[in-house]
Amino acid sequence: MKYLLLFFLAIGLLSSCTKEVEIDIPGYEEQLVIDGRIETGMPPIVLISKSKDIYAPTDLEAFLGAFVSGATVTVSNGTTTIQLIEMCTDNLPPGSEPFVAEMLGIPEADLASVHICGYTSLDPLIFGEVGKTYSLTVVAEGKTYTAETQIVEPTAFDAVFWKPDGDLTTHGYSWATLTDPPGQFDAYKWEVKRINDDGTGNELDANFAETFSPVFDDEFFDGLTFDFFYDNPFGYDEGVLNEHAGLFPIGDTIVIKFSKMDAAVYDFMEKKYMQLGTAGNPFATPTNIPSNITGGALGVWAGYSPSFDTLACQP
Amino acid sequence: MRYFLLLLTFFTAFIGTAQETSTLSGYVIDGRDGETMIGAKVYIPSIRKGAITNNYGFFSLTVPKGVYTVEFRMAGLDTETKEIDLNKDVRFDMEMATKMQNIQEVVVNANAEDNIKSTKIGQLQLDIDEIKTLPAFMGEVDIIKTIQLLPGVSSAAEGGQGFYVRGGGPDQNLVLLDEATVYNAAHLFGFFSVFNADAVKSVNLIKGGMPANFGGRMSSVLEVNMDEGNKKKFGVKGGLGVISSRLTVQGPLKKDKGSFIVSARRTYLDVIMKAAIPKDSPFAGSSYYFYDLNLKMNYNIGKKDKLFLSSYYGKDEFSFGNLDDNFQVDMPWGNGIVALRWNHLFSSKLFMNVTATMTDYRFSFISSQDEFRFALNSGIRDWGGKIDFTYFPNTRHKIKYGVDYTYHTFTPFSVSAENDDTVFDTGIAQKLYSHESALYALDEFDINEYLRINAGLRYSMFQHVGPFTRYINGDISKPDSTIEYAKGDIIKFYHGLEPRISLRWLLPDRSSIKAGYSYNYQYVHLTSLSAVSLPTDVWYPTTNLAQPQKGWQTSLGYFRNFANNMIETSVEVYYKGMNNLIEYKEGALPSDNVNDNTDNLLVYGKGWSYGIEFFVKKTYGKFTGWIGYTWSKTERLFEEINNGEVFPAKYDRRHDLSVVGSYKLGKRWVFSGAFIYATGNTLTLPTSWYVQNQELLFNYGQRNSTRMAPYHRLDISATWYGKEYKEKQDPATGETIQVKKKLKTNVAISVYNVYNRANPYFLYIDNDGDFLAGDFEIKVKQVTLFPIIPSVTWNFEF
Repeated sequence: MKYLLLFFLAIGLLSSCTKEVEIDIPGYEEQLVIDGRIETGMPPIVLISKSKDIYAPTDLEAFLGAFVSGATVTVSNGTTTIQLIEMCTDNLPPGSEPFVAEMLGIPEADLASVHICGYTSLDPLIFGEVGKTYSLTVVAEGKTYTAETQIVEPTAFDAVFWKPDGDLTTHGYSWATLTDPPGQFDAYKWEVKRINDDGTGNELDANFAETFSPVFDDEFFDGLTFDFFYDNPFGYDEGVLNEHAGLFPIGDTIVIKFSKMDAAVYDFMEKKYMQLGTAGNPFATPTNIPSNITGGALGVWAGYSPSFDTLACQP
Repeated sequence: MRYFLLLLTFFTAFIGTAQETSTLSGYVIDGRDGETMIGAKVYIPSIRKGAITNNYGFFSLTVPKGVYTVEFRMAGLDTETKEIDLNKDVRFDMEMATKMQNIQEVVVNANAEDNIKSTKIGQLQLDIDEIKTLPAFMGEVDIIKTIQLLPGVSSAAEGGQGFYVRGGGPDQNLVLLDEATVYNAAHLFGFFSVFNADAVKSVNLIKGGMPANFGGRMSSVLEVNMDEGNKKKFGVKGGLGVISSRLTVQGPLKKDKGSFIVSARRTYLDVIMKAAIPKDSPFAGSSYYFYDLNLKMNYNIGKKDKLFLSSYYGKDEFSFGNLDDNFQVDMPWGNGIVALRWNHLFSSKLFMNVTATMTDYRFSFISSQDEFRFALNSGIRDWGGKIDFTYFPNTRHKIKYGVDYTYHTFTPFSVSAENDDTVFDTGIAQKLYSHESALYALDEFDINEYLRINAGLRYSMFQHVGPFTRYINGDISKPDSTIEYAKGDIIKFYHGLEPRISLRWLLPDRSSIKAGYSYNYQYVHLTSLSAVSLPTDVWYPTTNLAQPQKGWQTSLGYFRNFANNMIETSVEVYYKGMNNLIEYKEGALPSDNVNDNTDNLLVYGKGWSYGIEFFVKKTYGKFTGWIGYTWSKTERLFEEINNGEVFPAKYDRRHDLSVVGSYKLGKRWVFSGAFIYATGNTLTLPTSWYVQNQELLFNYGQRNSTRMAPYHRLDISATWYGKEYKEKQDPATGETIQVKKKLKTNVAISVYNVYNRANPYFLYIDNDGDFLAGDFEIKVKQVTLFPIIPSVTWNFEF
């Protein structure tokens, strides 16, 4: 259905012209934004910032200035409660750099040159475990915000494979066979990175990347076994031929990170990607993304249980 | 029911009997083509009594016995008089315009003062010939766009067919084509109307004071009557336009007894697209066209019975393909409508119309990419019947009563999806069944010379019946349990009384005051996820969860004519209240309908609208036209939307102005123009942004709190008429004589949006760049659909 909405947008845009306008958009209220996650075997990490007026400056300074320091952040798994410590990108504990780099989308080498602060703990007692529910409490500027998320049982693929697309012989999508557990709600997220050597001895991609609409639930296929594919998020870069857009070339080796999440996190993610996909589309309802955080904050406290598969793109 | 019987008793008692009277009844017929005339006036000046022909051209006038000079008047024609001996009942069918007339030189509006004397408040009749001379978007003469130029009526968006009457939603308009309901009156995502003007005879809009014989909608009735076809001779007319062409064939089935008309229209955007898109382009499979076909037949069986068969079939076909991605979308949608009507005269005073209708609206969306295939269907099918009596006991009363029934089958969503050999579980294709019926009676009667009242009562009923599956939701929008209803089970029964009254108090100096009150139930809803009308908007019936919409409207107007009725003016104020309006819950997605009931995703609220409308119309002369201005306010209140605070409706407009004019230059040119100014529509835009996992997200503020720039536009047109006569030498006398040409032609040139105003269609937030690179920007962008668009259409008739 969202393709239908996009399609209508395309029709509208094809027959129209667009210009920038100045218009009064009343009603801005500053809100706290909590962007927290915990996944299996990893420490919790929480970034706290503030929402900005739609016409507020959008330069790097404004972006960095939006982060909130000095909050009290605690995470509990029911038996262990730990207060997270505030860490900044230019002063990270050894070993945490790759994870922080991925979370912020900043190359690991550049972390020291920016000053972004977040909250985490390197105590293994609070690292993510399958089946546990993690509660988050944030006290910032005199207000308290709480949230809960569960790291659900993961579901691994039956198989992953690559096959050429259509008449092509050298390029194709990444495919997977999935057996969805019957009789329960399941929601999934697909991410990928290429681990080929980039010519310098490093992997081609430092971080996992998502493609368009990376989350889905089992509304349509509860308990079924089926094949499906995802495109290559790096396959739209400059220099990629049009007919190869979104495809993996033969010879790529990729790691697929296939995570599961609970219903509230999925609700956030589904609406988030809907908004990203249809932002500004007059045919879509203006939708605020439902947060699982109480107390009036935006954002999400998300638990993920990933499983990983390596796929060599060969017929 | 008890009230209904009481009302009937009241009517009967009030009418009185035993006068020394006779009745003149019959049909008024256009002598040129044998078609009956709607709205013709039959008037006896000596006793100042008259009657107006109904939608079937029938009139009945009961007067004291005597011999009278009777006038027959019809807009655009010379008044004709007949001396008729009414010492006994007389059946007289009047053929007008049998003498040569120059139709373009209209002298006086034959229905002068009708706007003052009738009890009609909030009603407007449009002359189809007048509509045809107005500027036309892309050359397509459009009834709905003309309606949108009237006070109290506003368009949904640029070029859109959705129209909003006095603050009501687009689903609150009852659109009738020969008495059959039209659910989607638009082609091409709303830019063109389904009504082919060549096949239309008359258009009547009721925006307030809805009489009791109409129901099922809260805001308005748009009655479109199709042409009946020429009973005298065969004829062909048509037009060639920039994007479409039309052809109409009509003629007698049997001279003066029956006729037919077939009218077809097709766009050729697909041909243009095919030529424009190279064969090796990935989009070579994309195309769009629409077509529609109108057919009507009528036959007089004796002097007392007439049969009419009307049908409409129209379809839009859209395909979009991207061969590179093996992606294909096909999207057909359209209406099929059939109406069979039987007119019977029980006596000169009692007229009956029986109507059987079938309406079918379907929308499909089929997409495929590689092995994946997805299909969505929705639709509605109605089988309906109506028996309507009109009783003319004397000149002081006109009584209508009848019964109305419709069997609805709604298919809000039916989804299927498959991937290679795997068929996904997309739930059961849900259908909803319901019976809608009503009894009604109304009387238009003169209390005295000044006061006329139209009082009516409608008793409407609605049954939601099985089979039906009710999903009862758990927390995560999956069915925790269901309730199954078997075929024929009555799941919910709603019923209610709908009183309607309007009155007119005649004042001196060709003026009157009118007031109206109406209460309406509406048992169907249009669910729309988007801010503009689309074929994906789904009709949904009242169920045990979705309550019927209920609305009431009160209006008061002052009407006055000037300059021998050449200038008609009116001022009307109204207040409208609406309950059980629907909206989707915040954050609802279309896919949520799978394994669920649509009404589980809806929230219910109320709304109100009030305003004042000014209307000035010059009705005849070389220059004709009107100015309409509306000041209004429309608000909504939903407990679960906008934090339970009042918000403006998306079509809330403070000011709406239309200036429409036509000027006849000589006998061969008509110049027209239309200027529109409207306060900008409201919309909901993000008030703030935030970042989550490196992605920029938006947070929306109060519902409809942003207002777009005002909308204004000027359209002009010029129509050139070919010579109607040619000179020829009379072989007998050698004199030069004028002979009427067989072929009549005209060329209509229109320019839409003359000064190329960039009107806002919608606004969106655009963001681009990279935070870390320091070049990130957020901008508000406005999309404008139509720049200046010239068009030309060649019309012909023989």
